[in-house]
Amino acid sequence: MQGHDDLEPTVHIRELKKDKVNFVLKNVDLAFANSLRRVMMADIPTVAIDMVEIEINTTVLPDEFIAHRLGMVPLASSNCDEAIRNTRDCTCLAGCDSCSIMLVLNVACHDHHTMDVTSHHLDVVPPGTPGTWGDGEEQEHDAGEELSKRGERFGHPVGKDEPGTPPVLLCKIRKGQELKLRCVAKKGIAKEHAKWSPCSAVSFEYDPYNKLRHTTHWFESDERGEWPLSENAKEEEPPRDDEPFDFNAQPSQFYFEVETDGSLGPQEVVMKGLAELQTKLANLILGLKTQPELDILTGGEQQPNGNNADGWGAGGGGGGGWGAASGNGGGWGGSASPTRGGAATSAWGATSPHSSGGATSTWGGGANAGWGSPEQQSNGWNV
Amino acid sequence: MADSIPKIKIMKGAEADLSAATFQIHDESHTIGNALRWMLMKNPKVEFCGYSAPHPSENVIQVRIQMYDNLSSLSALITALSDLETLCGTIEDSYMTSFNNDDYEKWIEES
Repeated sequence: MQGHDDLEPTVHIRELKKDKVNFVLKNVDLAFANSLRRVMMADIPTVAIDMVEIEINTTVLPDEFIAHRLGMVPLASSNCDEAIRNTRDCTCLAGCDSCSIMLVLNVACHDHHTMDVTSHHLDVVPPGTPGTWGDGEEQEHDAGEELSKRGERFGHPVGKDEPGTPPVLLCKIRKGQELKLRCVAKKGIAKEHAKWSPCSAVSFEYDPYNKLRHTTHWFESDERGEWPLSENAKEEEPPRDDEPFDFNAQPSQFYFEVETDGSLGPQEVVMKGLAELQTKLANLILGLKTQPELDILTGGEQQPNGNNADGWGAGGGGGGGWGAASGNGGGWGGSASPTRGGAATSAWGATSPHSSGGATSTWGGGANAGWGSPEQQSNGWNV
Repeated sequence: MADSIPKIKIMKGAEADLSAATFQIHDESHTIGNALRWMLMKNPKVEFCGYSAPHPSENVIQVRIQMYDNLSSLSALITALSDLETLCGTIEDSYMTSFNNDDYEKWIEES
């Protein structure tokens, strides 16, 4: 629980199963560990059914109900980056083999038993089948190299042709009822719709003993008796009864369990997650390096109010919104010392041996309360 | 999209020498924002750094950076970004080391 500035980040895998991986990530920031969690849940592309054309539906469920259930069916999406294009980047007019996968379902019940319509009834139309995408127009587009990058099972419902894997139930039909439809599966990410998430659950834990007091345990009479410890507590030292609260401590061990829905393997999810984070950062660096002249010019020209510059630059109590939000603006700004080390030592030196650690935790806490609040995160697109 | 909306821009009100500036990053969220803020805070030359997602339905975040000694916040930002990228690479390597060498509970494929 001490500062971890000088330690190398490490990963230790504890368990790797067909559909889940359990690992411990050490010596990184909470912010970074959370970024990894978010990226694995919401930013990894997969394929999922996105459009459904219903020809016959005499079942008890309405069309949109069935369309929604079809969307949730996990489809094998290995190597999604290369194996399929985004429809919006494709040259085709309304779907082609490079950016879409056609699946058909045609089931009717002819006997006196209730019959299950499941994801195993979904059949992929093999790419290149004439007439899949309309009037034979698809022949004009070159098939692209995407098709060659696809695995044999790409786009097939997860678990189909795997004996022992229970299928996803879509609907139940009885004698005389029929369901006939065509689906188009497309690539997407879970930020747009959760059906594109490769993860069914990502568990993320740190500080199993709540030494950092990032949460408060409500209890009737006995906190320890009423709050059983998680498995991960075995990895950490239990707190002594007389241990004082170290308010400078930072979390440094993060327990992940990434569980996938089968569209991607757990190994692929972690690797793609890290790669996706790197891509985001690389794009930002690229954005900064390709337009810096332009930005600096506009930044320099537009200096609307001198107050602004005064307030920020001097870092005085007039720091307004930012200073107030952090709650520490006064203390920091007041000491107009050129280096942060000096200020940190005077303010927090008593308890924190290294100034940067103390400073980081102070600001971090303030900023989290202001901007990284749970309400904001649970709103809107950036879940 | 890259033609019309820049990925990142400096908002008005920045210091002429960029020692204090607010950067608006398009199409990013807390995923990058919080990690980037942390990495910037590690830099002892950074006086202040904070980020916000101004509105949930606006697809942008804003990162405010103020530097000591009139240093450039732009170069601090670039350094922080490349440090984060290195961190990703380090963790990927560490994961692969654990994947190849560690003794963990594995899944054995039937048949």
